[in-house]
Amino acid sequence: MDLLLQTLINGILAAGIYALVASGLALAVGVVGIVNFAHGEFSMIGAFVSYLLFVGAGIDPLISLGLAALVLFLVGAITYYGLIRPVLAAPELNQMLLTFGISVALQNIALLLFGADTRVVSTSYQGATIALGGISFGVPPFAAFVLSVGLLGALYWFLGKTRLGFAVRAVAQNRLAPGLLGIETQQIYLLAFGLSAALAGIAGVMLSVMLYASPTVGFAYTLKAFAIIVMAGLGNLRGVVPAAIILALAEAFVSTYVPGGGGWVEAVFFLVIFLALTWRSWRLS
Amino acid sequence: MMLAAVLLFLALVLPGLPLGQWRAFALDTAQFAFLISGLALAWDLLARTGQLSLAHGAFFGLGAYAAALSAPALGTVPALLVGGAVAALSSLLLGLATLRLQGMYFAIATLAFSEVMRTLVLKAQFTGGSIGLPVQPAFGGAYPLGGYYLAVAVLVICTLASLLLSRSRLHYAMAATRQGEAVARVLGVPVVRVKLVTFMISAFLAGLAGGVYAMKTLFLSPYDAFGLGRAVEALVIPIFGGLYTTTGPLLGGLIIVSLETWLRLRIGEGYLVVYGVVLVLTILFLPKGLMSLFARRKGARHA
Repeated sequence: MDLLLQTLINGILAAGIYALVASGLALAVGVVGIVNFAHGEFSMIGAFVSYLLFVGAGIDPLISLGLAALVLFLVGAITYYGLIRPVLAAPELNQMLLTFGISVALQNIALLLFGADTRVVSTSYQGATIALGGISFGVPPFAAFVLSVGLLGALYWFLGKTRLGFAVRAVAQNRLAPGLLGIETQQIYLLAFGLSAALAGIAGVMLSVMLYASPTVGFAYTLKAFAIIVMAGLGNLRGVVPAAIILALAEAFVSTYVPGGGGWVEAVFFLVIFLALTWRSWRLS
Repeated sequence: MMLAAVLLFLALVLPGLPLGQWRAFALDTAQFAFLISGLALAWDLLARTGQLSLAHGAFFGLGAYAAALSAPALGTVPALLVGGAVAALSSLLLGLATLRLQGMYFAIATLAFSEVMRTLVLKAQFTGGSIGLPVQPAFGGAYPLGGYYLAVAVLVICTLASLLLSRSRLHYAMAATRQGEAVARVLGVPVVRVKLVTFMISAFLAGLAGGVYAMKTLFLSPYDAFGLGRAVEALVIPIFGGLYTTTGPLLGGLIIVSLETWLRLRIGEGYLVVYGVVLVLTILFLPKGLMSLFARRKGARHA
């Protein structure tokens, strides 16, 4: 019973950061209409920002969160302005190839700069755990979960209650009409893409503590975020949280209950994508 | 067409040229370039239906492993065909689930597929797992140039497939599917079947190239055979050279593989950065690839 409870807790805690990365991707796909293969690389940059600030200036990751969000918002905005905007009207194939190219370039630039080593931001509270009855969990995953829930709450509030949020949702629903109503479509795209990158960057800072910073750390999260938004329906922000919980729980159960499960966890997201797609394509035909 | 003929001639006489100490290096690089160009041509076939595949690295790897494992029992050429068939079969399964949907779902699924194939090969016992798999040379090593000419043959097969398909009825079905799926369906094109058939041909050719690659390197590891690098090469070359053409991938393959070989020697790990940069720059500034430069000079002729 304790094992089951522990597995559930592990899954739920992991779901927070998944939902954070996937919400960012859902913004890029839903609002800007770009399938961003470089999304995980934004997380990778966030992780390295956190690592460099920690090693270079001794800044705690909790403070780096804000800085990384700012840096990644700028990176996202520049990426949108310089690279994405020119291909908005191009065929989908070109758009996907472009973001894939950005992903490959960023990964390998990081490889050239930092090498393939994994670097951990080792804070004093990294190994701390909380024990409740028979189950226990680490402080960093718990903190990351709480932060993720808070940020997602803020994101939903922004999209659901503010005028700017309404504008973002209007642009997501229709390409043309918001422009006629006086909404600056280009600026909304810029904002959405910047926000998307900032969310990925914040998740990256969390990864630098819970996992590590390395050139390829983001790529796995691109795939998992895709699995989540495919399950939720591309660009559907509302479905992201339940989908993230399903993926995280599935991974937790596989790693606990499947013999030799450690390696198979990496295959769970594919099963999720495959099942979601098969289901969609059956419903379609 | 001209380029293909010149290239074939050069490929056939290359082993006979007096290159001295450079001969081994030149043959090795040329063999690699032929295989990667073949892979690029295979990728381009599928791109003609408007689908972005990130799984061609995985088909290449599947073909490599299947050929390597079956070669001792079947002999070289049947083993290569087995490699192609295994790749084609996996593409059928992947395609059945995903090709009914919009293009972006397909791209995502292929990316996930290639990552999972690596996990499977790492986990399985008969593939040697993470230790790797030693491979016998082509024809049991009886002909020193056997592997080289097999690579030439693969490139010829891929080129012929590309040329024949661009002159067939299927070509129009593929172009219609790419330009507007709904319209194509109204015009009576069986869109899903066209995509599926093209996907299988494309995967078969990729698997074939992979098999020859295995017999060239004599050793396979999941990280090399299923690395994302191969998938990146497969798509950057046609885009740089010119999409939906036969000459484009051939030309792109020559240039990019030379560049890659040079960079591998210079900077080692991280050489893929060039692929990323070339990909981004080509999409932004030369979306129709190198071929568009020639086409314009000859006066807007259809490629």
